[in-house]
Amino acid sequence: METILKIGNLYKDFSGLEVLSGITVEIHGGERHAIIGPNGAGKSTLFNVITGLYKPSRGKIYFLDKDITGLPAHKIARLGISRSFQIINIFPLMTVYENVRNAIVSRFNCRFNCTTFLHRHRKIDQETNRVVELLALGDVRDTLASELSYGRQRHLELALTIARDPILILLDEPTAGLNSEETRSAVQLIRQVTEGRALIMVEHDMEVVFGLADRITVLNGGALLATGTPNEIRDNEEVRKAYLGRK
Amino acid sequence: MNNLRTYQLGLGIAGAVLMLLVPYLFPVMYIHLAVEILIYALFAVSFNLLFGYSGLLPFGHAAFFGAGAYVAALIFKNFPGMSLLLTLLITPLFCAGIAAVIGFFCIRLKGAYFALISLAFQMFLYAVAMKWRSVTYGDDGMTFNRPDLHLPILGTVSMGSIQNVYYLSLAIVAIGVLACYLFLKTPLGNSVVCVRERDIRASFLGYNVFLTRYIAFLVSGILAGLAGGLFALFVGFVNTACIDINMSMSVVLMTVIGGTGHFLGPILGTAFYVVFQDWISSLTKHWWILMGTFFIVVVLYLQGGLISLVSIKKIRLLVSRWSKEDGNHIENR
Amino acid sequence: MDLPIGIYLMQATHGLVYGMLLFLVASGLTLVLGMMGVLNIAHAAFYMLGAYFAYSVTLHLGSFWLSLLISPAIVGALSILAERFLLRKTYKGGHQLQLLLTFGLFFILGELVRVIWGTAPLTVPVPKLLAGDISLLGMTYPVYRFFILGFSFLILLGIALILSQTRIGIIIRAAVSDADMVDALGTNLPLVFAGVFGGGAILAALAGVVAAPFLSVHSGMGLDALMDCFVIIVVGGFGSLWGAFLASLMIGELNSFGILWVPRLAIVFQFLLMAVVLIARPSGLFGEKE
Repeated sequence: METILKIGNLYKDFSGLEVLSGITVEIHGGERHAIIGPNGAGKSTLFNVITGLYKPSRGKIYFLDKDITGLPAHKIARLGISRSFQIINIFPLMTVYENVRNAIVSRFNCRFNCTTFLHRHRKIDQETNRVVELLALGDVRDTLASELSYGRQRHLELALTIARDPILILLDEPTAGLNSEETRSAVQLIRQVTEGRALIMVEHDMEVVFGLADRITVLNGGALLATGTPNEIRDNEEVRKAYLGRK
Repeated sequence: MNNLRTYQLGLGIAGAVLMLLVPYLFPVMYIHLAVEILIYALFAVSFNLLFGYSGLLPFGHAAFFGAGAYVAALIFKNFPGMSLLLTLLITPLFCAGIAAVIGFFCIRLKGAYFALISLAFQMFLYAVAMKWRSVTYGDDGMTFNRPDLHLPILGTVSMGSIQNVYYLSLAIVAIGVLACYLFLKTPLGNSVVCVRERDIRASFLGYNVFLTRYIAFLVSGILAGLAGGLFALFVGFVNTACIDINMSMSVVLMTVIGGTGHFLGPILGTAFYVVFQDWISSLTKHWWILMGTFFIVVVLYLQGGLISLVSIKKIRLLVSRWSKEDGNHIENR
Repeated sequence: MDLPIGIYLMQATHGLVYGMLLFLVASGLTLVLGMMGVLNIAHAAFYMLGAYFAYSVTLHLGSFWLSLLISPAIVGALSILAERFLLRKTYKGGHQLQLLLTFGLFFILGELVRVIWGTAPLTVPVPKLLAGDISLLGMTYPVYRFFILGFSFLILLGIALILSQTRIGIIIRAAVSDADMVDALGTNLPLVFAGVFGGGAILAALAGVVAAPFLSVHSGMGLDALMDCFVIIVVGGFGSLWGAFLASLMIGELNSFGILWVPRLAIVFQFLLMAVVLIARPSGLFGEKE
């Protein structure tokens, strides 16, 4: 199993406040990896550093053996890392179709193409429709994203994340705000679209975590508490004390 | 072809025919107004490419319009033998160069800072135009003769008659506006809008936000420069008024009053502005205050601009009354 | 250049005076920017109005000192009206709406000034008490300029004390940090906004009054002040009062010596400074990195 992502001794501080301290973890191909930890543990910051929104203060990140430490977000995205957002970050005034199309245009490297008409581009149109259907959004294809229900918006958020056909997917609390039925179908969808890809997922819902993850990393106060299989984590004394309580 | 499209096409053709016949239908004074509207319309469309479509509000856009006017004027004055078409090609290219430099600094900033740094650069160019009297004649300005237009089949056309200036302006402005429209229909145009909507989301999708905005800035500068060059030809005189804050403010007014949410909004706003100015300034010399007040009213109470009063929805409603149109098409901006 | 030391000292003092005046104007702008997220472009017009009202009051009522009271009062009242009836409508609309409104307002005020007072530059005489010169290191220097220095310094000291020692000052500083929190705690936020907005306008108008005998009163002074303030905010850092202070002094000196060395292109120095800062440290010398 190849190593997709290697994080080595990662530190991030904001004006003196250290948010990440010495994080070291490896993600393998096809693996579903969950990151859990109490609020403020640095999970979202970790995502932001991996995907290039922030530069780490210290440490290295390797993606497929390529050093991506400090690269800007758009370059990292083009290498094959995609992320979703905890607070839904879709294009509100565009239709579902146009939303997904933005990602597809980028995937085919047509962002600066000024020689064809976008609506005439067959391949982009086909691929956009395929992704829309895959995420069960076909019936709202021409609806404005802001007019969708919350659950549907979550689907669109996921669609934007996988539309670029990424090698590594990062999902930031993908089931936040969903009721138990919506959560179940979201997990099903996530399982389906991340098949064969590497997935890192931040989650608070322990049922989702233990149901989906191959391995789990626990963060606390910016530091790595433990990494291991769900069983190992469940049995880990320190993790129990810090986070899981009496589960 | 559905009825909405037929209606739009019909309206478009009627408008085009009308524009072609202006010199035959209206007295000379109105032809002057028409040329003014055409030139400022191109200027406003270039402004809206930045404001409405890229989400960047520049308060110093006259920098490119004025630079274009001065470059063209300098060529007309100092190289009277140069082909008019070549001048109209060189002018926007030169402005592209200026935009390349100014844009490098401006695009780093957002919001109010972008607005004001663009104004700062425009004021800088204004100061240069003011002080470099040996070249630009300062606020006295330069007069020059309008060169003839040499066309391959039609021969030489003198730019001394306003009718000829009108047709040339119509052609050039039509090309410029069409170029902008088509640009927005390409994937690059989509990138510009995508980056405007959610720049962080776009960068996580692989869009280079800086570069996308920079390109939009360049295109906008090119079109504004072209408008400026036409302006020089039209007026036959260029002074610092072409590159001062009033000119920058005017294009803001024209575009916002017309409506930034629709491609044709700035054109409508320009027509309103020019006609209104012509009418009111004959009544009072303080027409600016009226215009400014109207602008504030639009900003506070009619953010969609005048074009929102003539919106597609209304047309669609109209059309659906005499057809079975279901009106479910979303106007692609 | 072989100029006596006195000239350099004089230019330096001139720069200091100009810088302090700039800071008087820029401080109100920075506070409003920090608290409300609005870059109020019309602020520069308040400065200009302050100077023009000073002219009229001095002309018709014969006393410069009266204008120190009347002019800021009128401008302050106008600014509060503008905030209440115009600017407040744009808070929900986003920054660009506020920009358009304040820019439009700046423009209309400029036009009104031209209509009421004409386009020719006006002079406001230095008050008799402060007329005359002082001898300093072989150069004579106008007393009035030291008045400006002292006056600005006192005003700014007063502001600093208010912000740090009084309850209202603490509320204001809290609102600059986190307006929503202050709102949640029950403070009448719109009132605080209006107050700071008006206070800033009064500061700007005071600067205008004081500047009137020093610089000439002309219809372009609003634009000059706007550009200077903008450079100050870019160089000093968005929202940093301390940065604005240092930047103001820098710009003042740059202006002063620029005019001395390269009179026709003094504006270039400001540009170079702004360009350098934008490349090297885009968040300004003291600004917070995003």
